Amino acid sequence: MPVRTIDVRERVMAKNDELAAGVRARLRAAGVPTFNLVSSPGSGKTLLLERTLADLGEDIDIAVITGDVQTQNDADRLARHTDRLVQAVVTNGACHLDARQVATAVDAIDLEATDLLFIENVGNLVCPASWDLGEDAKIVLFSVTEGEDKPAKYPKMFHEARVCVFTKMDLLPHVPFGVERAVLTARAVNPELRFLFTSAVREDGMEEWYAFLRSQLQPVCAV
Amino acid sequence: MHEMSVALEVCRMAEERLGREALGGVVAVGIDVGDEAGIEPESLAFCLEAVLATPPFHGAKPVIKRLPGDVLRLSYLEVEDAGPND
Repeated sequence: MPVRTIDVRERVMAKNDELAAGVRARLRAAGVPTFNLVSSPGSGKTLLLERTLADLGEDIDIAVITGDVQTQNDADRLARHTDRLVQAVVTNGACHLDARQVATAVDAIDLEATDLLFIENVGNLVCPASWDLGEDAKIVLFSVTEGEDKPAKYPKMFHEARVCVFTKMDLLPHVPFGVERAVLTARAVNPELRFLFTSAVREDGMEEWYAFLRSQLQPVCAV
Repeated sequence: MHEMSVALEVCRMAEERLGREALGGVVAVGIDVGDEAGIEPESLAFCLEAVLATPPFHGAKPVIKRLPGDVLRLSYLEVEDAGPND
């Protein structure tokens, strides 16, 4: 049978990006700054959020969407620190969150009563870099127990992020990790990247992290 | 790493374009993959072969073209041409 060719020339990410744009428009209209936390598995995304919810939760209404390949463990951990809704997305094997999942999760969040939204992505330095979720910025976590060359190995993620939060800084005396070299490697990939240095366990550097978050909040209009 | 997600999205796009009933007549699926798209072409071909072997597809062949840059797009669909309906 003869065949005919149909020209399509459509970006594979077009649908995701369209949904992400919708999410972004809703969050901006509601004045909710949104950060997509990305990192390797075990870099400390959940612990950073636990501390943040415990320390800021009384002043700031923070909602969280957590993504995990399997289990709701992260959502359960976070729910202990907040009365706010923690939306768990179980990806059932998928290595990243996509805009469709986030759009559905956002439906369940009372945006009028939310000052700040975190999306805790699946632990993975590869795939989440390619999926726009409608966030204002990606924040990449980089623990000192990882290799200093992570930004060179996973350039897309560090290129996409606006902020790099070093975590587990309390372990620095015990690991052969050169912070300066790590910063230089990350800067080579993304000269605009901003750095924060934290230990959620020892609570070092958390004030700088909180100052950054507060600086992102929408001003409250006086009535 | 996320090649299967991309393969499934390509199938969704084909269905959106042609309608579900026509998918059995697809013989080839052309994809452009940039060197910086974060996609491993061989892995994508493997995933596409798997999904295109299952209904409503009927064994369409993935044809991947490497390009510079970060392009990732469904370039074309080759379908059996049943000829004019009249």
